[in-house]
Amino acid sequence: MTSTNEPQGAATTAPRGALRRPADLARNIDVSGLVDTEGGLLDRVVFTDQQLYRQELRRVFAPSWLFLAHTDQFHKPGDFFTTYMGEDPVIVTLDRDRRIRAYLNSCRHRGARVCRADSGTTRNFTCTYHGWSFNLDGALVSVPNQDGYPESFETGEWGLVEVPHVETYQGLVFGTWNPEPVSLRESLGDMAWYMDAMLDHDDEGTVVVGGVHKWVLEGNWKLAAEQFATDWYHVNMSHASALMALAPAGKKPKDEVVHRTGRQYSDANGNGAGFPVHPKNRFDAQTVHRWMDYDALRARLGEARVEGPLTNGHATVFPNFSYLPVNGSLRVWHPKGPDKMEVWAWTIVDKSMPPEVREAQRLYNLRTFGPSGIFEQDDGENWSECQAISHGFITNNVALNYQMGMGSERADGRHPGTTSELYSDAAGRAFYTRWRDLMNTPAWHEEQK
Amino acid sequence: MSTAIEQNRSRAGARADRDTHFEVEQFYYEEADLLDAGRYADWLDLLADDLDYWMPTRTNRLRRQQSLSVAARGEAAFYDESKDSLAWRVRRFDSGMAWAEDPPSRTRHLVTNVMVRHVDPAEHDGFTTDDLWVRSAFLVYRNRLEREENVFAGSRTDILRRGGDRGLQVARRTILLEQNILQAKNISTFF
Repeated sequence: MTSTNEPQGAATTAPRGALRRPADLARNIDVSGLVDTEGGLLDRVVFTDQQLYRQELRRVFAPSWLFLAHTDQFHKPGDFFTTYMGEDPVIVTLDRDRRIRAYLNSCRHRGARVCRADSGTTRNFTCTYHGWSFNLDGALVSVPNQDGYPESFETGEWGLVEVPHVETYQGLVFGTWNPEPVSLRESLGDMAWYMDAMLDHDDEGTVVVGGVHKWVLEGNWKLAAEQFATDWYHVNMSHASALMALAPAGKKPKDEVVHRTGRQYSDANGNGAGFPVHPKNRFDAQTVHRWMDYDALRARLGEARVEGPLTNGHATVFPNFSYLPVNGSLRVWHPKGPDKMEVWAWTIVDKSMPPEVREAQRLYNLRTFGPSGIFEQDDGENWSECQAISHGFITNNVALNYQMGMGSERADGRHPGTTSELYSDAAGRAFYTRWRDLMNTPAWHEEQK
Repeated sequence: MSTAIEQNRSRAGARADRDTHFEVEQFYYEEADLLDAGRYADWLDLLADDLDYWMPTRTNRLRRQQSLSVAARGEAAFYDESKDSLAWRVRRFDSGMAWAEDPPSRTRHLVTNVMVRHVDPAEHDGFTTDDLWVRSAFLVYRNRLEREENVFAGSRTDILRRGGDRGLQVARRTILLEQNILQAKNISTFF
């Protein structure tokens, strides 16, 4: 009866010999007192504490479905993309049977990464330290000086640790270390209806516009994830300059922009999405706007989706995948310690878009979002501001307010699941409720043996 | 007449003379000064109306796939701008609510390693040997609020066209930043 922190997913086949990790290395803290769902309060220590952060990696990231890549990044066997699940480096690749698979990017010998390129095409992943080489199935296929190992050495036992479950939804690839997860589709629940507003415009689906924007931010990953789940509120102030730049020269943003009405979805899995429902919703590239066949979209997706989450808004799939439907911007907030995150952002477009429409969408996105975008520049400023001062003893002890829209959550008869007002912290409260519950629940790797 | 043509042919791709080199350097120093002073509207005056201003992202690639390490046109970029879109970005700063630069950062643009050649029209359609191909290196230091610091280092490959109030205008600029993951929370300046 040991409580251990050793992975029991794909790595259960990995020999551990007499190794036993003491449970004290992974002491868990009861976080019940850090999230007050009914009162709409949050203890700021959730953004700063190193021990809580390690617990997040164990209990929030390790058991959850995490976004890996877009299917369009893989066309032929050996195409690969390297990313992270929590702080774990992974290789995502297409095997010879054209299945998307993911492996821990760490040599089983001394632990170096076996792939240090961001993306590319290869037959094998070879460690540059001693030369152990792994094929697209993750199998160890070459060991220099293998005769130096004892008879008992079996290469079959020393393949790359595989992410046990990789599933896709509408072109989005997710993986989880959880050996027995609920399916990706089930865990998305009603959130899938909202995601389809961006991903399912027609039968052809979406493709990635080449490359991933990556940048670092001083700020806890939850600051960004919760904002994309719950926070339309910040738009008018944080992005005042961008709204001014988008308004006709010499004029202020239209009243209908500043006082939008809309809804905000939230669910028990911590997912959230907000969207205005004003018919003059779009403020994106007009080329894209003109190209879209709204009648066909209404027939396919229904009025409520077209007048809502299709045309604008924000969303987070718990824990750290977010997107902006109008921009076609997908992003992962990679945790890098309690005080730092790395943002990886993709731009997707409808595959059916002609080149000039794709280009308009791409340029609109890079000029508004991404590190130089006129909107996103100011988000980075806010998050680093919140984080920079949060280690002060008194500062850290002052509760934060998540009370907007308290009690407004309801089934609205038009959108699936539970929605609140556009200006609301409902999805923020749901996000931290889910976070608290996962933090207080032993994960698969802690179960008694 | 024929000698002028001969002379133009021989200038194509050739290193510019010392006076031209001096002129280009002074042009860049003035440009850097405008950027560091936050005089973005004045900076726009240095740019040609048909400007192409591009700063692609860069990725880590296997050595045999190095040719793919700089994002291609149409792929991910930090900047992919026309003069109009830069003017649109600059408008943001005039709103008085561009928080990423309020209070303003302190920046210093250093420009060095300047190599000046006459344009080879065979390689650059629409330009003449009077126009200049210039490669330079930059180091931009940003200090923000209390202790935030960023260093942006990279190269610029420009085509400067003869014309405008200062005698030169930036018509093409490709910026290569020596970073994979951008080591900054945002890019709120220009290069």
